[in-house]
Amino acid sequence: MSAETGVIHDIGYRRYTGRRLGRAQIVRALYWHSLRSAFGIGRGAKAKIVPVITFVVICLPAVANAVAVARGNARLVPYDTYAFQLRVVVMIIYIAAQAPELVSRDLRSHVLPLYFCRPLRRLDYPLAKLAAFVTACLAMIEIPLLLLYLGTIAQSHGGSAIWQQTKALIPGLLVGLMWAVLLAAIGLALASLSGRRAYATGAIAIYFFLTWILAGILIAVTQRTVVHAAAAPPGAPPGSPQKFETVTQVATTGAHLTGLVSPFTTLDGVRQWLGGTSEGPVPGVGQYGPLYGVMLLVLLAASLGGLAARYRKAGAA
Amino acid sequence: MSAQPSPDTGAAVIQTTALTKRYPGAVTALDALTVTVEPGITGLVGANGAGKSTLIKILLGLLPPTSGQARVLGGDCLRDAERIRTLTGYMPEHDCLPPDVTATEFVTHLGRMSGLPATAAKERAAESLRHVGLYEERYRQIGTYSTGMKQRVKLAQTLVGDPRLLLLDEPTVGLDPAGRNSMLELISRIGTEFGISIVVASHLLGEIERICDHLVAIDGGRLLRADTMTSMTQVSQVLVIEVDEGSELLLAELGQRGLEPRPYQRALLVRLEDDATYDTVRDAIADLGLPLNRLEQRRRRVEELFRDEQAQDAQAAGTETPEASHVG
Repeated sequence: MSAETGVIHDIGYRRYTGRRLGRAQIVRALYWHSLRSAFGIGRGAKAKIVPVITFVVICLPAVANAVAVARGNARLVPYDTYAFQLRVVVMIIYIAAQAPELVSRDLRSHVLPLYFCRPLRRLDYPLAKLAAFVTACLAMIEIPLLLLYLGTIAQSHGGSAIWQQTKALIPGLLVGLMWAVLLAAIGLALASLSGRRAYATGAIAIYFFLTWILAGILIAVTQRTVVHAAAAPPGAPPGSPQKFETVTQVATTGAHLTGLVSPFTTLDGVRQWLGGTSEGPVPGVGQYGPLYGVMLLVLLAASLGGLAARYRKAGAA
Repeated sequence: MSAQPSPDTGAAVIQTTALTKRYPGAVTALDALTVTVEPGITGLVGANGAGKSTLIKILLGLLPPTSGQARVLGGDCLRDAERIRTLTGYMPEHDCLPPDVTATEFVTHLGRMSGLPATAAKERAAESLRHVGLYEERYRQIGTYSTGMKQRVKLAQTLVGDPRLLLLDEPTVGLDPAGRNSMLELISRIGTEFGISIVVASHLLGEIERICDHLVAIDGGRLLRADTMTSMTQVSQVLVIEVDEGSELLLAELGQRGLEPRPYQRALLVRLEDDATYDTVRDAIADLGLPLNRLEQRRRRVEELFRDEQAQDAQAAGTETPEASHVG
C-alpha cells in the first residue's frame, strides 16, 4: 500500500497496522495528560512554581505536627478541618493558577476542534479534565492529611492508639474528598468561561476570596448584632452586659445561615451537619444543616452544568 | 472498538442524500445537497458561507443534519461517528495550535487522542512531521513558527492517526504564493502517493483546480455542479492562434476569410465551426507567411465554468470571456 518502491522522496508513507485504543482509553490518556499539567509536569520549570510552593505550604502544618508529636505533644491539628484558613488560602491560589492551565489554554488556542474531530465525544473532554483536576485537588488536600496521620502514629504505641488515629482520619479524608470535588468543579467551570488565562485566574481568585471574606464578615457581624439585641431586654442594671456565651446561643439564625455565602463555609457547614466536631469558621449550623447540604449540591450542579454547557457550545462552534 | 482502517477502494468516500441543515433563525446552510465523492482528491468549492464548513462538520458527526443522510467511508455520520472520526483527519480553517508547546509534543498528543498507544503516537508524530517537511524545527515551540510552518503542523496532525480520508478546510489560507504552491504540492503528494482520499474546501477555485481529480461546487447550500476535473475542463469550441509576429495582419486576413477573430493577449481567438476552420486558418497563415507558434483548441478553466453558469448561452456564441486573470 505504501509507496516505498521507486519513490525518490525521503520515506514512503507507512500505514499504521498496530492496535488502536478505544474511546475509554483515549479519555484515560487525556486524563493523565491533564493531571500532569495540573502540576506543571511535562512543561517548563516556570509551570511548576505555583504547584510546588502551594503543595509545600499546605504540608507545613503536618510537618510541624510531626515535630511536635515527636517531642511528646499530642496531635496539634484536627483531621476534619486541618488548618482551615491556610487550606483555604492555598487552595484558592492553587486552583486560580492551575485550573486555567487545564482548560483556558485549549480555549485560547482554539484546539478544541482538533479534539472533537477525533473519536472523543463532546462531554468526554470536560469529563477527563474534571476527573484530572479533582485528582489533583485531592492530592493537594489528602496528602497533607496522610502526612499528619503518619507523623502522629509514628509516635503512637499500641494498636488501639493507631486505631484511634485511623478512626479520626477517615472522616477527614471524606471531608477532603468533598472539598476536592466541589472546588475542582467550581474552578474548572469558572476557568472555562475565558480563554484568557489572566481573566480566568482573576475570576476564580475573586469569586473564592470575595465570598470567603464576605462570609467571614457576615458571620462576625451577625454574631455581634445578636450580642446587642440580646443585651437590652432583661432590664438588667446598666453597665452589666449579658455574658457572651448565652447571647451567642440565642443569636443563631443569621450567623448559622451566612456560611452559605462561600463554598468554603458551605463545606464547613456540611462537615458540621454530618457530625464534624472540630471548631470551624461556621459558628454551628443549628437546624440548618440540611440547607448546607442542599447548597453544596446546588453549587456542584451549577458548576457541572456550566461546564457541560460550555463544551457543548464550544464544540459546535 | 478499534476500527481497523479498511481501504474502501472503489466505493464512494462520501455520499450525501438530500442533506439539509437549518440553523435556528431560519438560516439554511445546506439545502437538500445530494453529492457523491469518489476516492482521490476532490475540490469542494464555494464562496464563503456556501456551506462548506457546515458540510464538513456534519461529515465528522459534529453537527446533526436537519434532514437527509450523509455517509462517510461506508458509515453513517450519526451512528458511526466514532469510527468515521478515527479514519478521518480534519484540518480546520482557522488557527488551532497552542504557541507554547513543540510540534512534536503537540502532534504526539493528538496521536494519542486519535487512539494510538504512546510509543506509536510518538513514532507517527515524527513521521507525519517529516512528511510535511518539518525536521529539526519540530523540537521548537509552535509559537516561533511562520504561517507556512503552522499550516504544515495542522496538516501533520491530520496524518498522525493514519486516516483514510482527509478533510482540509482552506489549507492555503494566509500563505504567500510560494507557500501556497508547496502546500498544494504536499496535498497532491498525500493524495497520490500516500493513497489517502482528500477533500479540499476552498473558495479559490483557480488555486485548487490544479491538484484535484474531482470538483464539487456548492452555492447557498445547494449543489452547483459535481464532476471530474477532465470533463469540466473539456476543450471548448475556440481555437487559439498565436503567431510570433504579424498578429494584426492575421486578424485582418481572418476577418476577410469570414471568421470573426478576436485578439486576446498575444494570441487570436476564433470560433471553431468544424474542421474547415482549421484549413482556413492554416491557409491564411501560409499565404501571409507568418511564423506560427501555437494553434490549439482552448481548454476552459473551471473557474469560468462556474462563473458562466448563468451566461452560458451568450458564451457559446464565441464571445467567450478572456482567460481569467487570476493565476493560482
